[in-house]
Amino acid sequence: MSCPKTQFLLQEYFSDDLAPLAREELGKHLANCEYCNAELESLLLTQSTLRHWQDQRVPHWDRGLNLFRREHRAPAAGAGLWVGWQWLPTAASFAMLAVLLFNLTIVSGEHGFSISFGPAADLQAQLTTFQQLQREEMQSLVTRVEDRQDNSNVQLLQAVLEQTQQSTAENLDRIYAYFEQKRIQDLQDMRVGYQQLVDSDYETIRSLNQLAQFVSYQSEIR
Amino acid sequence: MSLINEDEALIAAALNGSAYAWEKLVKRYEGKIYNQGLRLTGNASDAMDLMQEVFLGVYRNLHRFRGDAKFSSWIFRIAHNKAVDMKRRKRLMSAQPRSSDQDAGDDFDNIASEASYEPEVRLDEVQQNSQIVTMLKMLPMEQRLIVELKTFQSLTFEEIADMQDISVNTAKTRFYTALKKLKSASEEDHVLS
Repeated sequence: MSCPKTQFLLQEYFSDDLAPLAREELGKHLANCEYCNAELESLLLTQSTLRHWQDQRVPHWDRGLNLFRREHRAPAAGAGLWVGWQWLPTAASFAMLAVLLFNLTIVSGEHGFSISFGPAADLQAQLTTFQQLQREEMQSLVTRVEDRQDNSNVQLLQAVLEQTQQSTAENLDRIYAYFEQKRIQDLQDMRVGYQQLVDSDYETIRSLNQLAQFVSYQSEIR
Repeated sequence: MSLINEDEALIAAALNGSAYAWEKLVKRYEGKIYNQGLRLTGNASDAMDLMQEVFLGVYRNLHRFRGDAKFSSWIFRIAHNKAVDMKRRKRLMSAQPRSSDQDAGDDFDNIASEASYEPEVRLDEVQQNSQIVTMLKMLPMEQRLIVELKTFQSLTFEEIADMQDISVNTAKTRFYTALKKLKSASEEDHVLS
């Protein structure tokens, strides 16, 4: 048993813009038509089977990066900013090679730099001038060193002299103090000596007096 | 930032020469495009070719993307067109139901061997995908594309009709016819097994 409306109705069932009224009518038909309902169930089951698809991982590929970098001239990963300056060492090498091959001479004078190629014609003259300048410079330096040395010597001598004078004065003061101390000590000794002498004289006089008294006593006795 | 705005930002950066932005943009969609290719072509090698053609097309036409539509819609339209072109060139799959199980076996092996490199992919998932591919291969390309767009990409019949330059009713009819064929194939498969 089939239904003449099956195809039309089920096509509409999967439509996205089915009006609510039409969907209601469709629902009523499906509820009453066993064939259409069974057909719909089997189609939904088929669609459900399709939706069981499990996404598979993408195999490794370069994602078009090589093309992208080539066309955008983008640096390779990790190259950084140095890529733009890779010509620099090569250019420096060529410059050095040119200096050697063409015998490049760069001379610094009073009027700035001068660059010449090949053997220099006035090289000897320049060397002589350079030696003269060096000699004058050396002489000037020696003179300055000598002047500085003289000044240093004078300052040193002055310092030594001042030190010596100071030491001499201190020594004289010390000698004077010593002599003064000795003089005072001698005066004291002399005073003691006089005193002892006076005392000795006094004893002598007293002894003489005693002797005189004894003599006179003896005379009287006689 | 929403996914759409993020897409636009990545596109702008890629157009300014950012390889990083381009790679990120590709990473966002390569899985969907590759799996779409698997379902449409039935084997990993052709799916890979299709995916690379799609992204080459995206790269060549990126400056033409105006942002009027979603980037995802735009890229799936390119994928659809590339799949049609590929079918024309290589006659990817026969419109007739398979008479030889040998060809189908080759395709299963192709997908299964691809998936077997991934330890997390379980065998039943691979078998499920193989069964779906077998069913889809029984459809002619125009019906397979409609099933892909309606069932897997969830496009409306209006969008499908616009993409394929057909009427809405034709799109509905093709989808219904495709589902009926798939149902019959599925029932036959169950009966035989």
